[in-house]
Amino acid sequence: MGNGIKRRDFLKIVGASSATAALVGCGEEPPEKLIPYLVPPENIIPGVATWYATVCRECPAGCGMVLRTREGRAVKAEGNSFHPVNRGKLCARGQASLQGLYNPDRIREPLVRKEGQFHPVSWNDAEARVAQALADLRRKEQSGSIAFMTSQLGGTLDRLTREWMTALGSDRRITYEPFSYEWLRAANKMTFGRDAIPTYDLEASKLIVSFGADFLETWLSPVAYARGLSAMRQYDGGQIGSFAYIGPRLSMTGANADQWIGTTPGTEVFVALGMLHLILAEKLGSELPGNERTELANLARPYKPDHVARVTGVSPEKLAQLARAFATETPSLALGTGVGAVTSNAAPTSIAINLLNYAVGNIGKTVRYGPDSAQTGLSTYDQVLALTEDMKQGKISVLFCYESNPVFSLPKSVGFEAALEGVPLVVSLSSYPDETMAAAADIVLPSHNFLEAWGDYSPAPGVYGLMQPVMTPLFETRAVGDTLLSLARRVRPDGSELQWPSFHDYLRHHWQAMQQELAPDMLFETFWEKALGQGGVWQDIESTDVQLIPEVFRTDFNPPALLGEEASLYLHLYPSLRLYDGRDANRSWLQELPDPMTNIVWDNWAEINRETAATLGVTEGDVVELTSPVGSIEIPVHVSDTIRADVVAVPLGQGHRDFGRYAAGRGPNPLDLLPAGSEPASTGVPYGSVRVRLIRTGKRHELVSTAGSVTQGKREIARAITLSELAAGGHPVAQPEVPQMYPTHDHPEHRWGMSIDLNACTGCSACTVACYAENNIAIVGKENVAQGRHMSWLQVQRYFEVDERKPDVRFVPMLCQQCDSAPCEPVCPVYATYHNAEGLNAQVYNRCVGTRYCSNNCPYKVRSFNWFEYEWPDPLQLQLNPDVSVRSKGVMEKCTFCVQRIREGKDRAKDENLPVQDGEIVPACAQTCPTQAIVFGDLQDPGSKVAELARDPRRYRVLEELNTQPAVTYLKKIKLEALLSKIISRT
Amino acid sequence: MLIKASTIAVLLVVSGVTIGFSVGGNLSGPAQPIAFSHKIHAGDNQIGCLYCHTYARRSTVAGVPSVQLCMGCHRNVGQDKPEVQKLAAYWDQRVSIPWTRVYDMPDFVYFSHKRHVLKNVACQACHGPVQTMETVKKVGTLDMARCVNCHIQNNASIDCLTCHK
Repeated sequence: MGNGIKRRDFLKIVGASSATAALVGCGEEPPEKLIPYLVPPENIIPGVATWYATVCRECPAGCGMVLRTREGRAVKAEGNSFHPVNRGKLCARGQASLQGLYNPDRIREPLVRKEGQFHPVSWNDAEARVAQALADLRRKEQSGSIAFMTSQLGGTLDRLTREWMTALGSDRRITYEPFSYEWLRAANKMTFGRDAIPTYDLEASKLIVSFGADFLETWLSPVAYARGLSAMRQYDGGQIGSFAYIGPRLSMTGANADQWIGTTPGTEVFVALGMLHLILAEKLGSELPGNERTELANLARPYKPDHVARVTGVSPEKLAQLARAFATETPSLALGTGVGAVTSNAAPTSIAINLLNYAVGNIGKTVRYGPDSAQTGLSTYDQVLALTEDMKQGKISVLFCYESNPVFSLPKSVGFEAALEGVPLVVSLSSYPDETMAAAADIVLPSHNFLEAWGDYSPAPGVYGLMQPVMTPLFETRAVGDTLLSLARRVRPDGSELQWPSFHDYLRHHWQAMQQELAPDMLFETFWEKALGQGGVWQDIESTDVQLIPEVFRTDFNPPALLGEEASLYLHLYPSLRLYDGRDANRSWLQELPDPMTNIVWDNWAEINRETAATLGVTEGDVVELTSPVGSIEIPVHVSDTIRADVVAVPLGQGHRDFGRYAAGRGPNPLDLLPAGSEPASTGVPYGSVRVRLIRTGKRHELVSTAGSVTQGKREIARAITLSELAAGGHPVAQPEVPQMYPTHDHPEHRWGMSIDLNACTGCSACTVACYAENNIAIVGKENVAQGRHMSWLQVQRYFEVDERKPDVRFVPMLCQQCDSAPCEPVCPVYATYHNAEGLNAQVYNRCVGTRYCSNNCPYKVRSFNWFEYEWPDPLQLQLNPDVSVRSKGVMEKCTFCVQRIREGKDRAKDENLPVQDGEIVPACAQTCPTQAIVFGDLQDPGSKVAELARDPRRYRVLEELNTQPAVTYLKKIKLEALLSKIISRT
Repeated sequence: MLIKASTIAVLLVVSGVTIGFSVGGNLSGPAQPIAFSHKIHAGDNQIGCLYCHTYARRSTVAGVPSVQLCMGCHRNVGQDKPEVQKLAAYWDQRVSIPWTRVYDMPDFVYFSHKRHVLKNVACQACHGPVQTMETVKKVGTLDMARCVNCHIQNNASIDCLTCHK
């Protein structure tokens, strides 16, 4: 203060000015307007939530969904408990579907490109232009040059697109999914003669072996599989099911396994064949008809353990142990192969896996054909490549793209973007500014988000999900079905086909046919209302018997044909749990959600082994250049212990050039490294088909991870118990009499508590996103996360146990422990945080003055502070939950056990004049948990589930030695001493 | 010393500290686009509050009657009166009436009309003798002291989380 202002004067001035600010702040605000309804809408009571059932369309799994709406806007997505696929649960991406609806970068009206720029145009003009082009082609009899590319649409919309194309006179209707599972269909056709993907029953399996199938993240139907895995791993009569994961990198799915066997990409096939050989050689497995045993034995004969060890690096002992367990712990289940392993031998690998299942009698038990998955309607990768070729040669005159972004999701070497230049008219029906639209669209006819439109989706025979608009469309968009019908009317005014007034009528027409078949005695309106109410209709489908077809005995099992130098690293690309194939990249919840294994947010990275990093002289955050024979990218390195030393792994989904503010500019697209994979045997985008050179660039790019440490040290936050210890009664739980400084609290009516089962938690982080959606939690961005300003109330912490046998990865959902003797409470100088009579550590936001003493004193570090006024770019603010305050700058916030739901539950109970029943109040995290690892309830009620779990032999409380008396009980993860420990413990 | 939550609330009220909000100041009623008289409707004609404020027994909010509901009667009643003609003009133009808010709870407060109505708390307990008012005006302030005092007198919960959301 050299310029003459003394400290006291300075404080006076500051004090005076802040007083003025306060006065201004508390002054009378101008009166608000109160606008009543002109005509009150039916079914809407302001202040009361209305729920609508629909189907989640974030991936092809087709989970049932219900949307909570308030005053006509959707505020929360939850699983539909009636739906047979997901039974009330959703994954992180499903939870984030609301950010697709309210995406701030949505296309809000039709656009036309003039001189390289998009200009708004009326629907009438835009449609007229497209219709004109289509009519011209008809006149010239060139309608066959129209192509229509979509993602998997399932249901009636798919039928409409096909009929529409037929009516126009073209058959180039391409259904392209980057993760097509075409290799599974090809393998099943070659093994059993069925071009289908069966139902996998994980719950009924005693042992699961996954060949790179990340079935807890993205593989086929992750929510259903997570439920199945947790059911088979439940402790029952001294046993739990076991699980082995085979693949080059320990994925989150692999982290849930008892054993990880690291193989080089594409050699999984030899592990499967080696197992098959041992099972047949040791006369294990089930009875096989006729000469099949001999034929199979002949087929597997070359794959003796020594040979397998040489090509895969899997020791003969490990292989034998795995093979014997697989054949004796029946029904077992082999799954695979995964998306990351798609190379030239992906189909043969899947055949070997089929044969394994067949040899031990799993077919018909844990692998059931009949109720097949609906991935069968997809075009083949070859058809996608053929379309690209025709586009290059100018054979395509009009290309329609709907929910398909091939410029981003196809390897650059396919040349789709360049091929678009050969298409005179590209019409984008996308609602988002994706790369395909930005690169080439001439006209944009933006479509409704799936939450704004009618539709249906059938993920499997017998499961018919019905979709209805859950709210009025936000923008000048249209349901894609209505756009197509409108175009059809313009092009064929005299034609008799497709004369439906709207897609809604078309849909109802086809559901009438369904009603005739499924419920002929029911009135259609009753059937329709019932389907709308429960989100669809379901029927049981009998499984059918399958037999091996003889050609399978002549399958060639070759090592993968990989592009790139011998000595370089294998490139392993895998689907992202958060961003899928990249379609979810413009969602801030998912970008800020820590990746379960690396805990990195917002960025993209190349994962390499610690030893490899040391050899190459790179450390975390060093930018390296990855070069394959077809391209190169620069990407920061993440160093880990859970990847093979000869592999570099990059998640898919980042690398957007366009697509919106959250997606664009987040690192390179690893697909630039892939060859087109156009060899005859191609069965999908060849994600695992190259080797790459890794060179240091000398540049740095800081990766931001929310993980404070790799291991938990001696803190015993994430505990485990071996199966034999548990069978012997569990660890003794010491309950010492600890003197208390303050009198204990009375909880006269309720004491809310939670139990979290670490044996069930898979790390999927759906709870975290659900919490963001429910509680209006702000997104702070990468830079703020780096400063420790992450606002998440619930974080799935990940710890590696390095000293023990790999893999031992522990996931711990960490949230406010609602301590009975809470360290945060006595240090608050303004009583903004206090203990309430129901056991909650309440936080009164408008009383908080932001000293942050509470957070400093919290040993669990579960409080977050608003350093800034965070924003919800329009229209994201419409998603905000009106039952929860939006916190402003300078306020501390934390988990409330979803107090708004507690309040609602008690309110409902009061209306019914009944006490609150156990299970009636469910916080957002517990509601969505696919494995039901989180249980909430009243600890005062001795009969409640949560009270029962608080007495479980596996119980413990985190940092209990600090005498915080948490209301959250954790249940220890159960560890198997070996894959066969169940057999050992039985004898 | 252990201070209970209830004690805190009482201390804050007794010492006259009102934290956060006050719906206070101007106690005369604001001008409204239509000179609607509660006295005529609720007083002279004895129309029950819940007839127009239909959501009050079902929801947190009481609800302002829709223009359709007003027109339900005024299609047949008082068409010659200038204020009713204003109403009809809104209806004919399919425009909502931009009423000026009299009571405005801050966004961080959870208040349920339903719980109070079903507990037979008279509307007048908070809103004053509306049935006598030509123009609705605030009676006193809806500050925390008033809420907490009433809750104490009626043995209702004074846990902060009952109202702070």
